[in-house]
Amino acid sequence: MKNIILSALALFCMHVAGAQLKVAVTYPIAFPVGDLSDYIDATSFRGISLELYKNIKPNVAVGLETSWSLFYAREDEKVYTEGTASISGVQYRYTNAVPILAMGKFFKPSANKPVVPFGGLGVGTLFINRYADFGLYRVTNDTWQFCLRPELGIVIKGRDSNGPGVLVAAKYYAGFNTDDLEGQSYFSINIGLAFR
Amino acid sequence: MTIKLHRWLALLILPALSGCYPKGAEYVEELDLVYTNYDQAFAFSSKQTYAMPDSIIKITGEAFEDPDGNGKPQMVSATYSVPILQQIDQNMAANGWQKVSRTSNPDVVLLVSAITTTNIYYYYDWAYWGWYYPGWYPWWGWYYPYAPVYVDGYRTGSLFVQMIDSKTAPQVDNVPVAWHAIFNGMLEGSTPDIVTRIQRGIDKAFAQSPYLKH
Repeated sequence: MKNIILSALALFCMHVAGAQLKVAVTYPIAFPVGDLSDYIDATSFRGISLELYKNIKPNVAVGLETSWSLFYAREDEKVYTEGTASISGVQYRYTNAVPILAMGKFFKPSANKPVVPFGGLGVGTLFINRYADFGLYRVTNDTWQFCLRPELGIVIKGRDSNGPGVLVAAKYYAGFNTDDLEGQSYFSINIGLAFR
Repeated sequence: MTIKLHRWLALLILPALSGCYPKGAEYVEELDLVYTNYDQAFAFSSKQTYAMPDSIIKITGEAFEDPDGNGKPQMVSATYSVPILQQIDQNMAANGWQKVSRTSNPDVVLLVSAITTTNIYYYYDWAYWGWYYPGWYPWWGWYYPYAPVYVDGYRTGSLFVQMIDSKTAPQVDNVPVAWHAIFNGMLEGSTPDIVTRIQRGIDKAFAQSPYLKH
């Protein structure tokens, strides 16, 4: 599964390469949901997102996205019991989430307006590196999950039509269950710059 | 212009990212763990008395070695062992147990050992305790009615408390362990600090073992 997705992404990269690329660099603030939230319920303020895309039609762009969000929480000392065994201590929990996606963006036709709304969909893989430091031990779980990522956003054009615009987007990364781990999902609000 | 901006962004972003990674534990006590496990079939509430040696032994390897030929293993210095054993006594008393001497037919015996090697030896030789509790064969090991978690790579210090069932018939060359507690942490800091942390660990071990209470 992972290899198929990565090969598809590589082919896609080759196809896109050489064309006039747009680059968007954004800062994500990510909110965990579901199993990820059960594990770490704190908002992530650590991350970065990078998108490369090109227009295949005036209002349609395709490209690649990758990003990194780090979810982190300190769990105060508490007792964890399984069967007759109990263990107590402080836990430091981490989840690094790195989606690698092929994506499309559909811009609302609005030739001369400064604000351009868009919707988008990404498909690909979500690499999850989850670990907990418990006492002097580290318990790690790395997995690759299938990922769908719808988004809604706006681009605010700069004065110079060839200069960077401000990009604001709300994205939802839905990870799907693997044998090792339940699907890891999160919302993110991204704010950054889109360069043409 | 665009390319230059990209480069500046890259230059700014990389140090910012590496600088914001959370660092985890800052204080040595945050690394302390207390692990307990017990035999569900053991009727703790019907037991009243316990005996405990006045020393903590050092487990230096699975097999008991006795270079000085006195039949005893190395002991932990009294600076550590006295306050640690007192803390265990206090917790046992608070849970309704009565301390008796080894020769007064106690219901259970508490054996306390310290391990600073890289592995935890659930199965160290009984011979370590032959000086205190004679009569069983020195090559015997331990019988855990529950599955003890075997942990590799204990890089630091562990205090190991085993409650043995001294009245039930031994299980084929094994001493039955009804309860055990492990306090694991870094042996860093001053002696009073380490002792205080271990004492807190003992309190936690009893707090997370409510079945010991009468």
